[in-house]
Amino acid sequence: MNLGNMSFDQGVLNLANWMGNVIMPSLAGLFIILAVIEFSKGREFSHSMYGAMACLLVSGLTRAFETFAGQRAWNDPDLYWIALTTLINWVGNVILPVYAAVQVAAGALRTGMFSSMHPGSGGLRHFATAALCLLVSGLLRLAEVFVAQGTAGVT
Amino acid sequence: MPIPQLLNDIISLLLLLAPSAALLSLMLAGIALWSEAGASFAIGGSFTKWMFWAVVFLTLEPLLGWFPSFGVGVPLPGGGISTGWLESVQSDVAVFVTNFIVGRLVPTCAAYFVLRAILATASGGHPLPSILAAMFLLGSETTYNLIRSYNTGTPYAPADVLDSLWNHLVGTIMPVAAVLALVAAILNFSVRKPFMKHVAVSLALLSVSAIWNLVLAMM
Repeated sequence: MNLGNMSFDQGVLNLANWMGNVIMPSLAGLFIILAVIEFSKGREFSHSMYGAMACLLVSGLTRAFETFAGQRAWNDPDLYWIALTTLINWVGNVILPVYAAVQVAAGALRTGMFSSMHPGSGGLRHFATAALCLLVSGLLRLAEVFVAQGTAGVT
Repeated sequence: MPIPQLLNDIISLLLLLAPSAALLSLMLAGIALWSEAGASFAIGGSFTKWMFWAVVFLTLEPLLGWFPSFGVGVPLPGGGISTGWLESVQSDVAVFVTNFIVGRLVPTCAAYFVLRAILATASGGHPLPSILAAMFLLGSETTYNLIRSYNTGTPYAPADVLDSLWNHLVGTIMPVAAVLALVAAILNFSVRKPFMKHVAVSLALLSVSAIWNLVLAMM
């Protein structure tokens, strides 16, 4: 055994590569199995389903995070804030519109299955969720307006 | 009065044994890394203490350069050890540390840590501390060479080496640790555990230098 060729940083790098490229794709299969079993029992299965997708996306998510943390120079004090803001923007402007489309499809399926449309029905909740997903920026601006108007205090 | 030769040889012996002491310190640092939960070592804990001593042992001669400025002359003997039995003590100890402790004992210790990782998982613990400790032990010789390469040879050498190690940790190891944090976030999300902390940590590990500059800017 030649310890001179072994380094801690190379070991950690290989550990991360092994986790991301070997173990996580395998776990994706496990989470899909779990999602199917939970679905069959009428339980909440979305965590397992989305988790399986995320397990297959480790490299892509890593590149995304590197992009978020690479918006400014490495020594810029605002880098972490910019990275967090970019992450939130990405979730709000990229992920949530896709989630809205999924919710519209789910709402249409549920409405078609149960043929009922009232405020308490699951179909309407899906459509409302889709609308809210597309309105995140508007809701934030609305909250900001409320807060700005309240800065004078209650008279 | 001239310094007795035996005293000079003892000083040379201690200085020549400093690299061996540094290797031993690195081994003890690896064991301490495991006992301090691996992924989050305690500042001021055993791991940092042994790393500090490894750095001090490897920068001992430049560090002694401070004494003339204090008004204390430190004439370091040159030319090796002239007393035969002291020279053999030095070479025997160096060979013992290199061949037995680093060459044989460290890999065995690392193998035990891998076993410990499995047993810790079985008993509800986390395997990462043991795996990281095993990797640190296996990489102790390379870490030793890395620290030596950072030695500037000035009286400020210990601080220079610690600065360079911080840069190495932040620039090389932490971006890789960010991937592990992301993996932890995905796994926690999948099993319905809190995961936002790991997402924030992953981003933070990718921007440690910027956070350091943020703290500086706040001062």
